[in-house]
Amino acid sequence: MKKLIGSVLLFLAMSTAAFADGTQYRMRVDGLACPYCAYGIEKKLGKIDGVEKIDVDLNNGLVTVNVAEGVTLTDAQMAKLFTDAGFTFRSMVTVPLDEKKAH
Amino acid sequence: MRPAGALASLIILLAPVHAPAAPITFSTALPVGEGKFINREQLVFTRSGDDPGNNGLVVDVDALVSVLAYGASEKLALFATLPYLKKELRQSGGVRRSSKGLGDLTIFGRYTLFQRDGIGRTLRLGAIAGIKAPTGDDDETDALGRLPIPLQSGTGSWDSFIGVVASSETLRGGFHSQLTYQAKTAANNFEAGDVSRLDLSWQRRVWPRALQPSSNAFLYGVLEANIIHSRKSTVSGQVNDNSGGTTIFITPGIQYASKKLILEAAVQIPVYQDLNGTALENDYVLRAGFRVNY
Repeated sequence: MKKLIGSVLLFLAMSTAAFADGTQYRMRVDGLACPYCAYGIEKKLGKIDGVEKIDVDLNNGLVTVNVAEGVTLTDAQMAKLFTDAGFTFRSMVTVPLDEKKAH
Repeated sequence: MRPAGALASLIILLAPVHAPAAPITFSTALPVGEGKFINREQLVFTRSGDDPGNNGLVVDVDALVSVLAYGASEKLALFATLPYLKKELRQSGGVRRSSKGLGDLTIFGRYTLFQRDGIGRTLRLGAIAGIKAPTGDDDETDALGRLPIPLQSGTGSWDSFIGVVASSETLRGGFHSQLTYQAKTAANNFEAGDVSRLDLSWQRRVWPRALQPSSNAFLYGVLEANIIHSRKSTVSGQVNDNSGGTTIFITPGIQYASKKLILEAAVQIPVYQDLNGTALENDYVLRAGFRVNY
């Protein structure tokens, strides 16, 4: 009985992880020179449906955004978002979250 | 009672509190994102008591200055400033006059003319222009009659100003400067002198010493300088020789900046005052306040 419950819990955990897979976007953004500046872009990114996690690394000018499966961010969309916020969008790299986990 | 012009320098001390961003005593060229609001509240305590006229004149101006900034586009930011003022004049012989109430509303815009961004750094230049509307009460009276204009909550005049502002900000700190010219107009037979000023601010991050990817709050040491020149005022068309002059403040301060909130405090110390006639000299200006990102 204990083995059965354990198997069910393991299956549920794996299923949840599978559903949580999405995409990670790593963006180079110039002009982020203080924490107070960064809040504006976090707020704008947070309004996009499917955005699950936002990290801003001021030291390296990197903005990392995790989105849910099926959600796509485009270069044009991000360029406009960062320009509107007062910053300069440089580039974006896409990393599937399941691939990231595999590494 | 001293002529109103002798108190005219009090007005200019409140003028710098427009800033929605980095420096404590003036504005900045740093961005206000499109559609974003920033609210700033700053308490300003000004004492002028070094009376060269030997009348024992002391004037305290306490103000709560509210600023709302709005990002109209990525280049244009709009600002509204409204002070609540409490003014009190004391003179030897027991004379005491005071007023309190909302002051004049200032509305201005800032347009970014130049922007160069790098990793963790930005260099910006902007132009600013605005007007001050006579929304404050300018006909307050007490037992001695009508209060002189510098003691009124409002000036009664429509004034305007233009200027340029530059900011260079990095993760280690920043340097900001602003050059403005304020043109005054007459009201109630009084016209304050036009004001030219140059403001400088240098900031240095003192904590955290080393940045980590998780660093999301900074503590800055701040040193600012304000060079303010005011022309002589006129009363009923006559130039008041006991008004106007040049004051230089050195302003040490401290600022804590997180993602949503900035806390700041500074003291403006007048290190040089070359005022005309018996114009009242400034003792100090204390500032403390916060800014909130929305």
